[in-house]
Amino acid sequence: MNQILEVKNVTKYYGNGSIVTKALDGVSFSVEEEDFTAIMGASGSGKSTLLNVIATIDRVSAGDILVEGRSLTDMREEQLSGFRRDKLGFIFQEYNLLDTLTIGENITLPLNLKKVDAKTTATELNRVAEALGVADQLGKFPCELSGGQRQRAACARAIITNPALILADEPTGALDSANSGNLMKTFVQMNRSLGSTILMVTHDAVVGSYADRVLFLKDGKIWSEVLRGERTRQEMYQEILSVMSALGGDTGVC
Amino acid sequence: MFARLAFRNVKRQIGNYLIYFLTVMLTVALMFAVNNLIFSSELKRFSDMNQSLKDGLIFMSMFIALIVSFVLGYATSFMLKLRKREFGTYMTMGMTRNNILSIFVLETMIMSVAALLMGIILGLFIYQGIMAVFANLLAIEFEFSEYSSAGLFLTVVLVCIMFLLASVTSAVYLKRVSIYNLIHGEKKVEKGIRYPALWRMVSILSLAGLLLCIYYFNDGLDLVFSDVDRSSKEIFGSLAGAAVCLVLFHIGLARSAVHFLMKSKRFCCRGTNTFTVRQLSGKLSSNSVMIGILAFLIGFAVILVNVTFVQKELERMELDKRYPFDINATVNRENKQAISVSDGYRIIEKYRKINNCIEFQTYYSGSGYFYEFTPWSGDGYEGITDVYMKESDYNSLMEALGRERINCGDGFYLLANSPHILQFDFSKAVIEQEGKEYRYLGIIEDIPFNYWGYFIVLVPDRLVSSMNVEADCAAMDLEKGSFDVRSMNDELSYVYDPEGNDEFAYNRSDFDIKEYTRISRNEISAVLVVGAIYMAVIFVFLAMAVLALKTLAGLSEDKRKYEVLFRLGTGERQQEKTLFYQIFSFFFLPFALPLLLSIPTCCFCTKIMKMAGHEENLKVIYINTGMIALVLTVVYVLYFFATYLISKRNTVYRI
Repeated sequence: MNQILEVKNVTKYYGNGSIVTKALDGVSFSVEEEDFTAIMGASGSGKSTLLNVIATIDRVSAGDILVEGRSLTDMREEQLSGFRRDKLGFIFQEYNLLDTLTIGENITLPLNLKKVDAKTTATELNRVAEALGVADQLGKFPCELSGGQRQRAACARAIITNPALILADEPTGALDSANSGNLMKTFVQMNRSLGSTILMVTHDAVVGSYADRVLFLKDGKIWSEVLRGERTRQEMYQEILSVMSALGGDTGVC
Repeated sequence: MFARLAFRNVKRQIGNYLIYFLTVMLTVALMFAVNNLIFSSELKRFSDMNQSLKDGLIFMSMFIALIVSFVLGYATSFMLKLRKREFGTYMTMGMTRNNILSIFVLETMIMSVAALLMGIILGLFIYQGIMAVFANLLAIEFEFSEYSSAGLFLTVVLVCIMFLLASVTSAVYLKRVSIYNLIHGEKKVEKGIRYPALWRMVSILSLAGLLLCIYYFNDGLDLVFSDVDRSSKEIFGSLAGAAVCLVLFHIGLARSAVHFLMKSKRFCCRGTNTFTVRQLSGKLSSNSVMIGILAFLIGFAVILVNVTFVQKELERMELDKRYPFDINATVNRENKQAISVSDGYRIIEKYRKINNCIEFQTYYSGSGYFYEFTPWSGDGYEGITDVYMKESDYNSLMEALGRERINCGDGFYLLANSPHILQFDFSKAVIEQEGKEYRYLGIIEDIPFNYWGYFIVLVPDRLVSSMNVEADCAAMDLEKGSFDVRSMNDELSYVYDPEGNDEFAYNRSDFDIKEYTRISRNEISAVLVVGAIYMAVIFVFLAMAVLALKTLAGLSEDKRKYEVLFRLGTGERQQEKTLFYQIFSFFFLPFALPLLLSIPTCCFCTKIMKMAGHEENLKVIYINTGMIALVLTVVYVLYFFATYLISKRNTVYRI
């Protein structure tokens, strides 16, 4: 398998002067092609910061991040935009669909930004819409859809460019448990059938149990790692719960 | 507690309130200036003499009050929309609707009072500026104009009334709106345009209608100039038609352009085009009528200012053409009540020394032979007789003016100032005297004195020997310098009673004083010019304020959308470009065509100048039109860039 992402000793500080917060403290790990990795941790552990610096919407204070062997820290603003457009797919907690655009227009927006021709755009739209079950919703506006449908549309938008890496920030945060389960099945389908590489941030053990690998962050450092291996999802869930108990603090587990 | 909260909110949201503050401040400044104008002692002197001037000022002030109330109401609703979600949150926390209303009214009141004070300060300068323009137009020396307490009082009262009206509207809205709508109002499904093909057709037909109206206006202009008996129904009909077409074109365009663009797959799959078009879609469709009205107002402003300037220019040229001498006397021999030319000299000399004087006569033969070549003969035109002038008298006047002499030989000319005369064929006209025929030689459009008839027949001296003198005339040039022209005119006037029974008696002067005519006309045209410029400023300002407020009201929503675009890989420059196109399209949709109307307006103005016989001065028209278009564009572009920069600062997402 090719290495898609390599995070090397990344540190991130916030603030200046006497009040400085260390959000990430020498984080290092790598993600290979077709991996489905989850990052878990308590509130304030640095998981969203980590996702933001990988997503290039925030800069690292020290260390390096490489995607497909290319360092992100040396890139200029315009290069980073191109990188996000060509290499990354995003799925957010609040879906972040543009409410003035139809679902079809939302999904094809990344292709438009890449200036892909109309014919290819239509073909790709059909492919991902069919795969994610939103083909009959393409002409509707986001507010006409349920939360689950919206998040599936957001998934379709994330994979339409066949990105090297899909980043998901608490993707089930706004969904009920049934829709959360359905979305995670979609993620697994994207990972297994479409070969998508996914890096997901979550604080939900059930959601984390769908991943092949879970990294636990504590105080800005990688504290532990759980690999699925041959385990079932239930076994993976139990393992995550036990790590979270050991991790302590506010893990989001009631 | 609410007062403290309101003060804190204003301080915290100063960026959002800035555009509201600027809009209200400018509106107050314009209103304060015009209110001072109404109560100005300098203007009152003129308006006492002219009822139409007085009516014009009152109409202008009422009109501005109407515009002001609209702008203030609009600005307040903009603020309410901007804060909807915040107010919804307050209500979920348990605040009552009255509490919210108190906070909002207090906030807008703080801003309105600040804007009122700043507006009045700005208005002090605008008022002096207007008075300076007045002084310039009236050709009098500009002196510092005193401010009137009544003007100040009226401004404060009007602003308070507008503020109260806006508060009542806000109260009605806040009393009725649900908390859900306050918080999620902007998430409503965008309503698609119904019948876009129909609106496209409306747009195309309106454009065709507009061009047709321009064609008919041109035609009407020809007819009015060539046929004096023709009513100006075609002109006003085509103007009204053009106004309707202009409004409909913009409504149709606003409702169909987006649909049309969305049909092009090639266009939509390029970068952020779909996003830009969708951003515009909601704004254009929900504001299509407003865009139509704004287009009309801007178009009206463009045409009004152009026409007023041309009218002013035409008036100046007409004066120079009609009054080549300082005073022109035409005393009819049959009028026994008239002041004679010699008595006139004595009166004039009391005021100013006569440097040069040329006496001449006009003659009549008793027949209306030449009028038979025009429509002014036959029934209803009985009693109209031809008027003649001697070749030598004409040449004396021309010589005094340094112009070329004329030689009639064995023929005659017609002297005519009116363009209507040019279309009539006098080629068959012949004067016979003592067995000799005198043939028609053509029309001379240069009458070297002020003559109110249609034409004079210019003949060799020998031809008038058998005719009667119609009037004793004199053309005089006075020594340079100022004099009391009004008193001179009063002294040269007398009560003329044609029937001798007081029924039709009126004040009349047979001595046309160029300076007196110029001053009288200036008083009217000064009000027209200032009124036109002022109305144009207000129209353009209104358009800009409404467009800017509409754009800035959607900032918080746009910010969220541009953040999504950023995350999807839209760089800072592309975001800026997208935002630029979005605001530019919205701003210039109601502006482009009305500005382009400058071209036909300029063509018509030059045509009018040509028809009025001032072909040599067309350059002034081009310069005027160019300057007006340039000033409008510069002001509009400045306002656009201010809006764009504020939006960019608040919307474009960067790390």
